[in-house]
Amino acid sequence: MKRTGITLYDLYAQRLLPLLALLGLVLVWEVLCRLFNVPEYVLPAPSVIFEAFLNVDGQRWFDHLWATLRVALLGFALAVSISIPMAIMMVRSAFLARTLLPFLIIVQSTPIVAVAPLIIVILGAGEAPRTVIACLISFFPIVVATTSGLLSTPKEMLELSNSLKASPARQIWQVRLPYAVPHIFSGLKVAITLAIIGAVIAEFVAAEQGLGYFVQFSTSYFRIPQAFAALFFLSMVSLLLFKAVQLVQQTFFSWSLPADEEH
Amino acid sequence: MIPPAKHPSIRWTKLATGTLITLLMSGAAQATDRVTFQLDWLPGGDKAPVYVGIAQGFFAEQDLDVRISQGRGSTDAMTKLATGQADIGLSDITALMAAHAEGGIPVRGVYSIFSQPPHAFYVLEDSGIEQVSDVAGKRIATSPFTSSNLFLPLLLEMNGVDEQSINLIQSDPGTLSPMLLNGRTDVVISWVTDQERYADNALSAGVTLRIIPWHEAGLEAYSTTLVASDRFLEERPDVARRFIDAYEQAIEYTWANPNEAAEAVNAVVPEVEVDMAARTIEAIRPLVFNTFSETHGLGAFEPSRLAATWQWTAEAQEMDVNLLDPESIIDRRFVPGGE
Repeated sequence: MKRTGITLYDLYAQRLLPLLALLGLVLVWEVLCRLFNVPEYVLPAPSVIFEAFLNVDGQRWFDHLWATLRVALLGFALAVSISIPMAIMMVRSAFLARTLLPFLIIVQSTPIVAVAPLIIVILGAGEAPRTVIACLISFFPIVVATTSGLLSTPKEMLELSNSLKASPARQIWQVRLPYAVPHIFSGLKVAITLAIIGAVIAEFVAAEQGLGYFVQFSTSYFRIPQAFAALFFLSMVSLLLFKAVQLVQQTFFSWSLPADEEH
Repeated sequence: MIPPAKHPSIRWTKLATGTLITLLMSGAAQATDRVTFQLDWLPGGDKAPVYVGIAQGFFAEQDLDVRISQGRGSTDAMTKLATGQADIGLSDITALMAAHAEGGIPVRGVYSIFSQPPHAFYVLEDSGIEQVSDVAGKRIATSPFTSSNLFLPLLLEMNGVDEQSINLIQSDPGTLSPMLLNGRTDVVISWVTDQERYADNALSAGVTLRIIPWHEAGLEAYSTTLVASDRFLEERPDVARRFIDAYEQAIEYTWANPNEAAEAVNAVVPEVEVDMAARTIEAIRPLVFNTFSETHGLGAFEPSRLAATWQWTAEAQEMDVNLLDPESIIDRRFVPGGE
């Protein structure tokens, strides 16, 4: 059945219901905290967290947010610019795939928390090591998703392009990549949230600004509600970035979405 | 094909211009010397002097442009000094000693800041624990990487407490105060530099704390020290001297004017509250200004206390005392009025 627009039911189901669920959760949390008189150094009530959020100057929130966002986005951009060409190379050459894959798995399975201090020692305490950490944690899902996407091209399409004597570059660009787009976006959605986690891990090890630094600073002063406020802010940022990737896909690659996600 | 040779006069003009630019640049660099100062932890009242030095212009008077880099522990600070990311900074002297005994690090102690150890037990006032000997049989929570852990067995032994009787819990520093207030532990090990943070947290829970400093229970040792990289001391000894002179001035100013000092920290790091920083500065005064520093002077490394500090560090880490001559990790040339 062809859909003509967003109905009232859709609006309720898609927009209002998640919001209502979230509000319900916050309400239950608030009530439980008040009912059992939970001390704020154990679990602060949402109202206390909100108060802590307001107590911090807006400009300071912005500075911390911008520091984390900059590192996460730079790391993400770096990851994209490395992983998509790498995936293309791996699909083109079985030798490269065999050689690179073990390295990729090693990098992915090494706990980034353990390596982060070493990266900072090697690269210094500036923004570069933080960007590298955000990149390292986020590039793997993009490589895997892009590779499996490139490999998902139907055989007959490849045979057709071969019979038309399409150059390898043209085959990648015009046949394989369009098939890979939905996979790439799945990878990008996972990677963007990981990039934020990478930025926060890096800030825990060495930073003078950023939301991760602010969480660490707040807990070291036992300002638990303030740490919670920063955590919520962080999850909001992750959510927005995830949505942003989704928006890019909807705007520029809407054909790559399953029929029921086009709106 | 070989490129045609350039006219000699063009080359000379380029060389002369290059030299002039280099000279001009080095002239500009000489006017103010840049120094990167490495903190050993996050900023707070206990780190105030370097911020005071900047705010009050003590460094500027010495033609120094000081930048501050925050740290995550003594080992982290020393690594950054050793790798040239910073020139001079803070570290616990026991960590410096251990690093030297483990195989050497191009970092040396140049000025003692805390001549008393900052380690302490924190307990609830109504817990019945009033002195170190009362912790026998109790649960004690500590953070995994603090140098206090080194001295704990020694302190217990000195005060006749059987180490086996205590239940030691290791946890993240940010969880220690909540654990104490929550009854998940009876005792917390922390530095007296943290007492105002703990006090505020306790106040919000409606209880009061008792702090039992270890130096009152017989533990006497050096602690936080100004340390510098060998490269900095060898290549720029004059800059090091000027920095330490200004730093000492800043120490004296900090404890003469705790409020202004706290404001200096807050001006650079707005997360640090002025009131709490000022109270911290006041609270840790005995670590810096005490009978020992009165006798031997600020910044001094008195040989017998230095040797005792190493002996305790070695014992605590089960190292051979002969592994290190504690004098070898110190450079006394820069203590004002020192060597």
